Amino acid sequence: MTTASIPRVRGLRRVLRAALGRAYPRIIGQNRERSWLFYDTVLPLLGTIAFVYVYKALGAPDRFIGYVIMGGATTAFWMNVMWNMAAQFYWDKQGGNLELYMVVPCGITPILLGMSLGGFVATVLRAVAIVLIGSLMFHVRFDISNLGVFLLVFGVAVVALYGLGVTFASLFLLWGREAWHMAELFMEPVFLASGFYFPVRALGFWAAMGTSLIPLTLALDAMRQLLFGAAHPALLPVWWEVAGLVFLAVLFIVLARFMLARMEYLARREGRLSLRF
Amino acid sequence: MATAVAVRQEGPLRRWWRVLRVSFWLGWQIETNWTDPLLFFIYSLAKPLGGVLILVFMYFVVARGGQGPMLGFFVVGTALWPFVLRGMMGIAWGLISDREHWKTLRYIYTSPIPYRGYLIGRALAQATSAVAPAVITLIFGRYVLGVPLHLATVNVQYAAVAMITGIAGIVALGLVVVSAAMLISGEAWRMPEGVGAGLYLVSGAIFPVTTLPGPLQTLSQVFPLTWWLEAMRRGLLGPQSVRSFAWAGDAQVLAYEVVVTAVWIIVATFIFGIAERRARQLGILDQESAY
Repeated sequence: MTTASIPRVRGLRRVLRAALGRAYPRIIGQNRERSWLFYDTVLPLLGTIAFVYVYKALGAPDRFIGYVIMGGATTAFWMNVMWNMAAQFYWDKQGGNLELYMVVPCGITPILLGMSLGGFVATVLRAVAIVLIGSLMFHVRFDISNLGVFLLVFGVAVVALYGLGVTFASLFLLWGREAWHMAELFMEPVFLASGFYFPVRALGFWAAMGTSLIPLTLALDAMRQLLFGAAHPALLPVWWEVAGLVFLAVLFIVLARFMLARMEYLARREGRLSLRF
Repeated sequence: MATAVAVRQEGPLRRWWRVLRVSFWLGWQIETNWTDPLLFFIYSLAKPLGGVLILVFMYFVVARGGQGPMLGFFVVGTALWPFVLRGMMGIAWGLISDREHWKTLRYIYTSPIPYRGYLIGRALAQATSAVAPAVITLIFGRYVLGVPLHLATVNVQYAAVAMITGIAGIVALGLVVVSAAMLISGEAWRMPEGVGAGLYLVSGAIFPVTTLPGPLQTLSQVFPLTWWLEAMRRGLLGPQSVRSFAWAGDAQVLAYEVVVTAVWIIVATFIFGIAERRARQLGILDQESAY
């Protein structure tokens, strides 16, 4: 009787419903405990302000303060991807939910999509708060020369970034205690490689091209070009960077699907799915 | 029976020493045995070296090459900051992970050991894991970035006193943070990170506190970390260091560090006692939040 009343949705509808189902507790949970508003907006702002004062101590032009504020906002996305997507299966292992995800009929990709959607709402709020408060505090104006292209860069970068997040999540599926430390490991080195706080061109052209495999490198450079114009030492023209981001988005989505299936198989075979420590 | 007699005969100092030693060993195992030594070494280095290189590139894009005293400021600050992250935040993480992750807090707390000593041992183990990254960051600064860290000009005794006092200050701050972590559960795991971010901003870790607005400059002097970092820069870089307190002589800075640290130790001991009592009264000492 119960089985008959369950709607048998398939394909994309099932993916969407499962993703929304997983996003729901995350969004509702955040609203129930609003302390995250303080922890997710004020605290990351402190680190950003510290880097603003570094440029002030160096006597840098105001443009660099804008760089830092943008970098600070971008950290929100990177941290969301690493801690709330890549490492999510680690948290779920600890909480005992991972086994449940494995037996639901939708597969784990929609679960990850739902997690990212749920986390994305808070991440956007966090990024907007950093940009607004930071620019008000330090009197920085952001004049976007082409809003349409800016939004396009942002949108494609988010898709590529979350594709990378799912790829990482599959690796983290195999890890126990390492997961926490590996997520930590991908913080400062990535902030350096992607030029979160300085123009990535400063790394040198070829080094910056190498680090462009991280979608945020091209995204930040393109957005800075649209914000600061000719004053910004660009890595590549904006449209080349958009094309690069589209390529990365497709690459990471394909890679994510392959890796997830492969790592799930390995994790099952080696009995690591329920290995907590 | 014999063990019970031995424990009774053990003086408080010896018991503290034993607890420190054993909890240090435990903390070290938890900190390091999650992977092989090579990966642990890379992991230990990546964060501080990444941090210092971010500052170096920020410096180079503004200064367009060349070297200056700010590079030394960045290198020493970034080399020493992991002691704060691991020592201060580590003590809080010791409690939170025992409570939430390992679920061993109630067993450790009810064992006949000074719990404060156990937490300090865990913190010292974490702080010890910051030694290698600190040394390598300083070597990198000296030989790759050309920072004037010469053995001939380093004031070893001064730096050693500043360092030991600094570690005591970090542990005292950690005890205050862990006191707060005892009384909150929902966001306890984020709170130490938040305190660390606040201290990173006000204690002159990566820029001189003279850059801060007036009230924050005053606030920065309240924390032992500010005096510790200033003293360490003077001890390691000598007269060429960029100074947060140009008005103070070297001896004065060290004296301030010792006094402020002593005050924090007293305050931290008092606060920890209150928080511990309060958590027991409320029955939340081992309350899990399922973070």
